[in-house]
Amino acid sequence: MGRILIRFNEDQVSEPIASQIIIEYKVPMAILSAHINSKGGEILAEVPDDILEKVVNAFRNRGISVTVPKLIEVDSDKCFSCGSCLALCPVEAISLTEDSTVQFDKEKCVGSTCSVCVDACPARAIKSVKPNNNGTSAIREKKR
Amino acid sequence: MSNQAKTRTVEEINQKIRKGDAQVLTAEEMKKLVECSGVEVAFKEVDVVTTGTFGAMCSSGAVVNLGHSDPPIKIEHAWINDVEVCHPGAAVDLFIGATNMSEKQPYEYGGGHVIQDLVSGKEVELRATSYGTDCYPRTSLKTTLTKDDLNQFYLLNFRNCYQRYNCAVNSSDEVIYTYMSKLLPRFRNATFSGAGELNPLMNDPDYETMGMGTRIFLGGGQGYIIGEGTQHSPKNLNGTLMVKGDAKKMSPEFLQGGAFTGYGTSLYVGLGVPIPILNEGLAKKTGIQDKDILTDIIDYSVPRRDRPKFGQVSYKELKSGSIAVNGKKVRVSSLSSLKMAKKVTQTLKSWIDEGAFFLTSPVERLPTTTVFKLMRQTEEIPFVYNVMHQAITCTEDEEIQAIAKRIVTKSVNHIVVVDETGKLKGIVTSWDITRAMAEGKKALADIESHNVVTAKPDEPLEIASKRMAQNNISALPVIDIERKVLGIITSEDVSRLLGR
Repeated sequence: MGRILIRFNEDQVSEPIASQIIIEYKVPMAILSAHINSKGGEILAEVPDDILEKVVNAFRNRGISVTVPKLIEVDSDKCFSCGSCLALCPVEAISLTEDSTVQFDKEKCVGSTCSVCVDACPARAIKSVKPNNNGTSAIREKKR
Repeated sequence: MSNQAKTRTVEEINQKIRKGDAQVLTAEEMKKLVECSGVEVAFKEVDVVTTGTFGAMCSSGAVVNLGHSDPPIKIEHAWINDVEVCHPGAAVDLFIGATNMSEKQPYEYGGGHVIQDLVSGKEVELRATSYGTDCYPRTSLKTTLTKDDLNQFYLLNFRNCYQRYNCAVNSSDEVIYTYMSKLLPRFRNATFSGAGELNPLMNDPDYETMGMGTRIFLGGGQGYIIGEGTQHSPKNLNGTLMVKGDAKKMSPEFLQGGAFTGYGTSLYVGLGVPIPILNEGLAKKTGIQDKDILTDIIDYSVPRRDRPKFGQVSYKELKSGSIAVNGKKVRVSSLSSLKMAKKVTQTLKSWIDEGAFFLTSPVERLPTTTVFKLMRQTEEIPFVYNVMHQAITCTEDEEIQAIAKRIVTKSVNHIVVVDETGKLKGIVTSWDITRAMAEGKKALADIESHNVVTAKPDEPLEIASKRMAQNNISALPVIDIERKVLGIITSEDVSRLLGR
């Protein structure tokens, strides 16, 4: 699965573009987060790798910006498992193990579009990083 | 000690440590033993219980003596890695306060990080200036140092190891950044601090075994309690410790700098106290569990000394990940590290088991009756309730014409829209009415603002007036926790007060 960040401007939100593409390409797109109003907004979605490039091009052909979201990474050398981040996480990607170690689930994390935990880490162990996912390399090449 | 004896002494325990047959349990293990086998058995079997905590302790710091430079300097101002360090005494003594922030990276790097870097063996940069005297002619100094270069390097913390601490929430509409970390609006999260049942003072709440001279685990090395900490408040279970230890022998694992966005920097300190089980009473006390330790839920959005409380919770609930606040489930997480607190108790236990750590009796026990006095203030500051006055209101079914009339007869600029129970719905200004006239709008709904910036009655006026300026508005409805309108304050009220 590849994660993409789809950004709509003010002129693009009135049309059901995402729905049209989902139907046209029969793509099982999982929407991880969405913030849209009349002024524009963004959708963070997960798309199967085999159809990723097609979907990205479909959005781009309609003039929609598609980028790869930054990921959140935890430096386990710096983290001393206080847990400040835990209750902030809206998708419960952070938990405590049996021995009270803070555990971070990369799969559940919605990435830098959320980032609510980043500035709450007293050890400054949480960072936004650029992904190195090869499935999305085609997308990055086209980025300006 | 015979099986029948009802007490044992610290000296007897140290004899056993020397022989390698002292029975040492961590606080966690002791709870289980007391629960399963009872106090009597626990007393018979256990000599020492190791307690511990690992949390941000802002009133921490280090005393550094640099040795003399040539020619000598009597330092007036000094910085280590751009963090101003205080010069409290004669020529080359410095105090690195944990909360002093770097002038180049404020909020990210501070005194706590300097201490951690020094303890790690890293090289730091010292800059100092002075006015120069006949005996200390030098006026400036720049050098790099590691802990090995320092003449002396002591950790000296004047308030550590709070017996228990508040649980923090935020009832306001905005995110706030506090020393209790990031608090999301409208009770969307809660934070707490402290190790609960592992905390040293909680396991000996009458301070039978603790006081000046008690040898402890401090920052990964050995240190001492040198008395009660500042703000020690034993009567309401808020005891604190003042501690000292040789920082050169400490470990960066148990002394870590902390950065709190919007608040500043701090030092995370690992601190552990061995409790000698001298009698059955201490066996019972060290059996205390998280469910027995209660703390207040406090609203940190109210910037007052006495902040509103939302009842009490136990550390058991706090550690469970969610608590109930006003009947609503709120996710809660810790600022201090339970994992590291356990590690403190385990490390201290292993030291005693290996005969590398001996217990001491305090020469003077911690006081049990001191009271935390509040500050005497000779100047009063105004609060919202000092200037707020009755709000002129309307309901959503009223016509613009009627509201316009009210603005004129009452001679106000703001009408607060309320529902039938008096709860805030919106606000209408004379400007909104003018615009409605210009655009030919008739319905209140077309001009009413629903996103209302508000004030609380017991907020300092300065904070409310800053909020008005930030939002570029000239009035704030004053509401209670249920959003009932209590009154209004306007920028005219503020200027009138300031002009007085």
